[in-house]
Amino acid sequence: MDVQQQVRSAAIEHRFDPYEDNGGTCLAIAGEDFCIIASDTRQSNGYSINSRYAPKTYKVSETSVLATTGFHADGLTLVKRLDQRLEWYRHAHEKEMSTPALAQLLSITLYQKRFFPYYSFCLLGGLDPEGKGAVYSFDPVGSFERETYRAGGSAASLIQPFLDNQVGWKNQENADKSLPDLETALRLTKDAFTSATERDIHTGDCLEIFVVTKDGVKVEQYQLKRD
Amino acid sequence: MECLFGITGKDFTLLAADEVAARSIVVMKSKEDKSRTLSPHILLLYTGEPGDTVNFAEYIQRNVRLYGIRNDIELSPKAAANFTRRELAESLRSRHPYAVNLLIGGYDTKTSAPALFWLDYLGSMAELPFAAQGYGAYFCTSLMDRYWQPDMNLDQAVALMKQCIQELKTRFIVNLPEFNCKVVDKDGVREIDLKAYP
Amino acid sequence: MDKFVARYATSPLTPAFQTEELNLLGKWDAAQDFAIPAFDIPGAEHPTQFLQSITNESSPDYKIKIQHGTTTLAFKFQGGVVVAVDSRATAGNYIASQTVKKVIEINPYLLGTMAGGAADCSYWERELGRRCRLYELRNKERISVAAASKLLANMVYSYKGMGLSMGTMVTGWDKTGPNLFYVDSDGTRLKGDLFSVGSGSTFAYGVLDSGYNYDMSVSDAIELGKRSIYHATHRDAMSGGSVNLYHVTEGGWVYHGNHDVGPLHWEYQDLKAREHALTT
Repeated sequence: MDVQQQVRSAAIEHRFDPYEDNGGTCLAIAGEDFCIIASDTRQSNGYSINSRYAPKTYKVSETSVLATTGFHADGLTLVKRLDQRLEWYRHAHEKEMSTPALAQLLSITLYQKRFFPYYSFCLLGGLDPEGKGAVYSFDPVGSFERETYRAGGSAASLIQPFLDNQVGWKNQENADKSLPDLETALRLTKDAFTSATERDIHTGDCLEIFVVTKDGVKVEQYQLKRD
Repeated sequence: MECLFGITGKDFTLLAADEVAARSIVVMKSKEDKSRTLSPHILLLYTGEPGDTVNFAEYIQRNVRLYGIRNDIELSPKAAANFTRRELAESLRSRHPYAVNLLIGGYDTKTSAPALFWLDYLGSMAELPFAAQGYGAYFCTSLMDRYWQPDMNLDQAVALMKQCIQELKTRFIVNLPEFNCKVVDKDGVREIDLKAYP
Repeated sequence: MDKFVARYATSPLTPAFQTEELNLLGKWDAAQDFAIPAFDIPGAEHPTQFLQSITNESSPDYKIKIQHGTTTLAFKFQGGVVVAVDSRATAGNYIASQTVKKVIEINPYLLGTMAGGAADCSYWERELGRRCRLYELRNKERISVAAASKLLANMVYSYKGMGLSMGTMVTGWDKTGPNLFYVDSDGTRLKGDLFSVGSGSTFAYGVLDSGYNYDMSVSDAIELGKRSIYHATHRDAMSGGSVNLYHVTEGGWVYHGNHDVGPLHWEYQDLKAREHALTT
């Protein structure tokens, strides 16, 4: 390399920017013996829509479903890694991993990349070993908490207050704070996403609802506005 | 905002460190001992980056101790100071340098002489009759220039130390209410209660 | 021989991230028990600057909103240690949760608190729990609080400057009695009688310092912890939710409930009105 070349190569500076925000919203509600995990299927980048059907919710076992928002590629990688660890677990222990164990596994998987995080906001929903509905929400580096309902992603700040009101009964003193039944949860989910589609440009097209019960995981689709 | 002082006397070295441990604007602890005893006759005082200080001081402490065990003879204060200086200089050229400033005071049992060393995180070292680290140096080096004398006895040195601390109380904006004072002489290291002196 | 030594040797001079990634399922090596886990590092020219640019709230490239914890306090008194914390987690300006458990139950005798990065605290205190258990199995006795807190301080110190953020108090009861240590991600470790950590700590200190007395009763101490956190949640926007209370006794820690600061505010207002009526 001659001197001139060296000077030129030193002058080039590449910005390291490996992330993109692909938008999208997800939601999970736990019931007494079921769990709903839903997300829209729009994938966008800024003001452009990449796809109207790019699912971001994945069935990871017979009792749990994972929804990821943020950067789509990181979500894919994360689910791929998780699927492989679950496969190894099945071969090593001849059983499915329970949802609470899966939540802890996901937490350390996220923390392994503490210094180069996955740009993913995860929601894990499913049934715990007692058969009760469980929702786990995560931050990008693996802080997690078990809850009964949670919204995540670009319209989280629109949907979460709605859920606080309708599922958490945070508007009422001494309210009966029992868990919703499946019918109510489904209705609230659809209402939440219909409203979010009205006010969030990154949410819309189609809603994919996963329902986890003791009989397994069922998927249901619900059309949203495609504008 | 931390302050360290060292004064040599006729046959001892007197050292003092403030006792405040602060995080941003909060005083987390007001009785922190910022010193480590390296050998029976060497004392090290430290200030600097939180975390680095204790880690470096304990690393030096253990290596000086190891030398004593291996060779059945303790390092002289000068040897310990030179060892410490080299460790700082090497650390400065590593990926993660220690940001620690030190005073090493001791009593050399072979020559029966006190010794005091001033070291900073860049690896500078000076052997001095009296020294200060931190903002205290701006207020008290002149004061010690004026009042320090060779062959001071312990009472005189303690009086000078108290004068330094008093100057900080009158002129320094930061409140450093307590100082931990220790003396190193032929009998080893022991604490000095400044309040017990007039 | 060199190979053998290399396998069992650990050096503080080798940065943790340069060691080979621990393959947890495939190759388990007992010698690696105390090795510090390895983490992925971005291939950027300045990895720590890159992390700062995406996680710092004031950075233009701020994308990755890490949850942050807020007011925590713990103090020693005649009857042991009281630990009180709030329960709010914020990610930027958004309240990510009002129900965070900021007291981490390391084991039945040790408690850790959470301030700073929520994931950093829960990950490293879980790792501390594992190491404390290994210590028990190896030495047939419980680890001292001093040793446990030093394990934690040494672990996070090896990542100094890489962007970890935690301010924690480790507390428990061992052979020497009740103990309290402050440990943070700078590597600072302080033994003390009274600490408060987080953005609301100054507010908590105000109430705590003025009401503190070493000889107070257990119920008074728990009430002081609760009230200090309540006042911090009232003045600090990043603190809120509810107060979680713990009391460390000789027999281990005891949980003293979750107290929503919503109703608590009106309870304290009523109390103040009654006190005022009595004095006039």
